[in-house]
Amino acid sequence: MLKWFITPVFFLLNLQVLFSNDPINSRGLFSHTGTIKITFVNVVKGLPMLLQSKIYTNSFGEDYSINKFKYYIGGCNLAGSKVAHQDSDSYHLVNESDTASLSFIFTAEEGIYDSVFFLLGVDSLYNVSGAQTGDLDPANDMFWTWNSGYVMAKMEGRSSSSALNNIFEFHIGGFAGRYSVLKNIALPLAPGKLVVHKGSTSEVIIQADADAWWQSPNDIRLSNSPAITTPGIMAKKISDNYSKMFSVKSVSNH
Amino acid sequence: MKIIIVTLILIGITLFAGIVNGSRNNVTDASDSFIDSPLVFKIPKGFPELPLNIFAKNHLTEAGFQLGRKLFYDGRLSKDGNFPCASCHQQYAAFSTSDHDLSHGFNNSFTTRNAPALINIAWMKSLHFDGAINHIELQPLAPITSINEMSENIDSVLLKLKKDTMYVRMFKAAFGTTLINSQRMLRALAQFVGSLVSANSKYDKVKRGEEMFSPLEENGYRVFKSNCETCHREPLFTDNSFRNNGLPLDRYLCDMGRMNVTGNKEDSLKFKVPTLRNIALTYPYMHDGRIYSLYNVIEHYRKGIQVGPTLDSVLTRKITITDIEKRDLVYFLKTLTDTSFVKNPRFSQPL
Repeated sequence: MLKWFITPVFFLLNLQVLFSNDPINSRGLFSHTGTIKITFVNVVKGLPMLLQSKIYTNSFGEDYSINKFKYYIGGCNLAGSKVAHQDSDSYHLVNESDTASLSFIFTAEEGIYDSVFFLLGVDSLYNVSGAQTGDLDPANDMFWTWNSGYVMAKMEGRSSSSALNNIFEFHIGGFAGRYSVLKNIALPLAPGKLVVHKGSTSEVIIQADADAWWQSPNDIRLSNSPAITTPGIMAKKISDNYSKMFSVKSVSNH
Repeated sequence: MKIIIVTLILIGITLFAGIVNGSRNNVTDASDSFIDSPLVFKIPKGFPELPLNIFAKNHLTEAGFQLGRKLFYDGRLSKDGNFPCASCHQQYAAFSTSDHDLSHGFNNSFTTRNAPALINIAWMKSLHFDGAINHIELQPLAPITSINEMSENIDSVLLKLKKDTMYVRMFKAAFGTTLINSQRMLRALAQFVGSLVSANSKYDKVKRGEEMFSPLEENGYRVFKSNCETCHREPLFTDNSFRNNGLPLDRYLCDMGRMNVTGNKEDSLKFKVPTLRNIALTYPYMHDGRIYSLYNVIEHYRKGIQVGPTLDSVLTRKITITDIEKRDLVYFLKTLTDTSFVKNPRFSQPL
């Protein structure tokens, strides 16, 4: 008697295993989804970021050029009539010198969305869980080998105001405690602008302005702080600044 | 009979689903699903459970262990080929650097700390004397990339490994495909280093009822229990905590210990309590190897402790050990030498 009961349960479990293997497929069967493409455009005071070749001026009149500009974006989601969950395990290393890294796509359920939100940085769990792969590979030059943890954002360059051989390096990290630099970013989309329906493709262009790193709320002067490369109060201060560098430039639906 | 046939068919479907599932996972992250000749990590009798389940995602296998062993002894992990992990972690010295206060690295450089013995690492929640490394898989990144140790970078190491067909075969055996990446290299090393378990010293044999302490060793054990055990807790002979044991600051190295990691003043001059297992083999002692003999280590605790704001509270009370007790304590400490560990052919340089 018991066996007769167990057998169909077994069968159902098998069905469940077969379908649950592939979330994309099962989503396609039971709901309607569209594709969202997120593109980051890095700028300085609204002008294109030209690595190594352009000299900019910060709000303290200090000149600087940028050689490296990189940051981690994690678990990008939309909010609106529904919450569209991208795989929360998904991290993207946005690297100005690698064009392919500036965009990524994910799927969202049908609906109208009015904000996009993501983590700027790498969640503490991934800082303490051993060797990772892909964009979180420690060989990506965004991981501290001497004090385990990710560099969440990095800007390096040159400045005549730097007493450190005219070099400046900001390697901003720290995932725990009062000096955590992890930032939850939420950006409004123009109301009713992002509409997802079955098979649609929408693109959200997010601008990141490096000028935000220098001020508001904390003044960061190259003459005083040309190197911020450890977790601590200075890293926290600069992260409070750069968390305000994002704005949505455009949303388009196709 | 019918029931049996139906059940068999269903078992067949289950197995098939498992295969489909397994092969699909192989495409994305083979290391999570591929199991080749699995090894069981045995917790020795009386030892605690592992504080972190370090083999949960990194399944321990014979092929993974052997790959890690080969990597551990391979100089190609260093810039000039001269500094394998084993150059500072010598098996005969219980995987510490014998007779060196500081170890030697690339281009005639010195390290800034005494190379710790790799003993029962699987029970450590963090690594390095200041606890800077939070996972065994991440540990090799530090020595490989430090300019005063192996002075290499990971991409360059991986390029060298990919050129060696033996490694291509071994990575496939360990992880299911020929992909060679940093995660697989680090996980293989973690399998080898995590397997370096020492639990077969005379002390262990006495605890198992197989041998007896001599009267001097027995007395030394008594001295140990009343003076050392708070920090060097049995059976690991460390509690893996960070403590200031009263060593004066070395003005040249200026090593502030745990404070370097936490940024807290309360952590100034605190270093991780090392295990006493195989202690007779791992000289010199302390985080910077400043003391060369066990007698002088005990002498430090008798008379050398420098009082400071972060001195550990258990050391503020004066430790009184007579000369006889000092001798017997050393006798006892020598019972922690595990010859089967330092001579285990599975841990030695592969041919």
